[in-house]
Amino acid sequence: MSERKHRPLAPELEASLPRVDVDDLIAPLKYYVDDDHPHLWIKDPAVCTGCTAKPCLAFCPVGVYRLDRRGQVMVGYQACVECGSCRVGCPFLNIGWALPRGGYGIAYKFG
Amino acid sequence: MGADLRFDAIVVGGGPAGVAAAITMAKGGLDCVLIERGRFAGAKNLFGGVLYTHALADILPDYWSRQPPFERPVTEQGYWLLSPDSAMRILHKGECYKGEPAAAYTALRARFDPWFAEQAVREGVLVIPKTTVTEVRRDDQGRAIGVATDRPEGEVSAPIVVLAEGVNNLLTQQLGLARGDLPPRYVALAVKEVIGLPSAEIEARFGLAGPQEGVAIDIFGDATLGLPGTAFLYTDTKAVSIGVGLLLEELVHHNLRPYEVLARFKAHPAVRPYLAGGTPLEYGAHLIPEQGYDRMPQLVADGVLVVGDAACMVDALHREGTNLAMTAGRLAGETALEAHREQDFSARALRAYRRRLAESFVLKDLKQYRRMTDLLDSTPDLLGTYVNFINEAAQRYFTAHGIPKREMEAEILGLLRERRSFLGVARDLMRLLRGMRG
Repeated sequence: MSERKHRPLAPELEASLPRVDVDDLIAPLKYYVDDDHPHLWIKDPAVCTGCTAKPCLAFCPVGVYRLDRRGQVMVGYQACVECGSCRVGCPFLNIGWALPRGGYGIAYKFG
Repeated sequence: MGADLRFDAIVVGGGPAGVAAAITMAKGGLDCVLIERGRFAGAKNLFGGVLYTHALADILPDYWSRQPPFERPVTEQGYWLLSPDSAMRILHKGECYKGEPAAAYTALRARFDPWFAEQAVREGVLVIPKTTVTEVRRDDQGRAIGVATDRPEGEVSAPIVVLAEGVNNLLTQQLGLARGDLPPRYVALAVKEVIGLPSAEIEARFGLAGPQEGVAIDIFGDATLGLPGTAFLYTDTKAVSIGVGLLLEELVHHNLRPYEVLARFKAHPAVRPYLAGGTPLEYGAHLIPEQGYDRMPQLVADGVLVVGDAACMVDALHREGTNLAMTAGRLAGETALEAHREQDFSARALRAYRRRLAESFVLKDLKQYRRMTDLLDSTPDLLGTYVNFINEAAQRYFTAHGIPKREMEAEILGLLRERRSFLGVARDLMRLLRGMRG
């Protein structure tokens, strides 16, 4: 497989992206949170420290991955909609991903 | 669950593929259990979405009398090609789309999937929700003999396991049927919002005569920042479904937040008026497996059949998926019935499923469009380039400038040459044609 040619996004396109508070988007979602069993985890925190891009902070569609005050990646698995992007999108495959236990996690009302 | 739960067949996953398989097997007389991890079938499911009734009719010929919870029939459909500040719209509507039942309906999966699973229950399928399958159990010769679940003593036995686990096909991977996990350059991450609007308002905005009409629009170009992907705008009964999907690798590479791409698309001057004043009802996200024909997992193993998204059965070009899934589920179910008649559950016997698929539109279409993924893959700026050109050309074409038309035509040609050499255009066209013809 050849490396895909990526042209960088034009700066005016980049600038045209509105800021969105993802917490407003997920507020209406219905979750059954499994308090005792996080189904997402970081396999090796040192790998995240060494990852300069940290694309998970952006591409996760519900903002599960955020930085704490010390710059460490935190995993807010409670907001997860179980899409699977982080498992395969992490450049270092450093995210542990399991299905929530039966009945837990997102329950769409519309879908 | 008891210690020794035995069935003729186990289906993992209560989406369209799994339910189609379960209904087919139950109608054929098999004792069938369907295990679903959500609180109800459909709780985890999300699509654009348009459902095609041909696949449903093949499974339940009397589906219409069972009152499926569709949103609106699709009586108008087509494409919008968006530049940053304009739109070329190519839409088709007609009386031909108004028969009842229609060929296609918009739908919401948390409403449709529970109805479909309920039909399986009516046919005698035991549906067990709130239960996650953790493993396909195999004997010492590697043949599937059932599944393990996250319930205490949650082992279930059957000589056939149908994997309808969806795009995150962890069990299919565990069995070694897929070559590794999903490749980020061949899966799209789609985000969607359902926005509530009064029925009459939707009809006024989209030019519909009433709730018996609906629109499905697929949108290219600026909606995805010109990157490989598509967006959509569909009318539901009292809501519109709007969303955007990009190849995951593009999001990763450009460090994009998918919900910002969606918000930008919603604010486009050609889109915004359709949504104005609406109530956000739900936001969600889902992966779409677009690996294509050449990267599908193996579809059978000893005692195992793989169906639907778990087997990458998506025709992205035509936004088809649930109909491929239902058809595959039905064909898997028919193969399971045959296997029970012959009492042969070996991969060799189950390969009849793949042969049936190869004779159906499912594998024929996937095979025909096998090069489309690679076309976008090797030319990621293809959509943006041509969509912007078409919009600029249209503006020149539709505007009187007081210059001779010959000069206007030359200007349009110049617009194209700025973006692509003649050879480049010829090459793109050739590859597009090859991609379409298969």
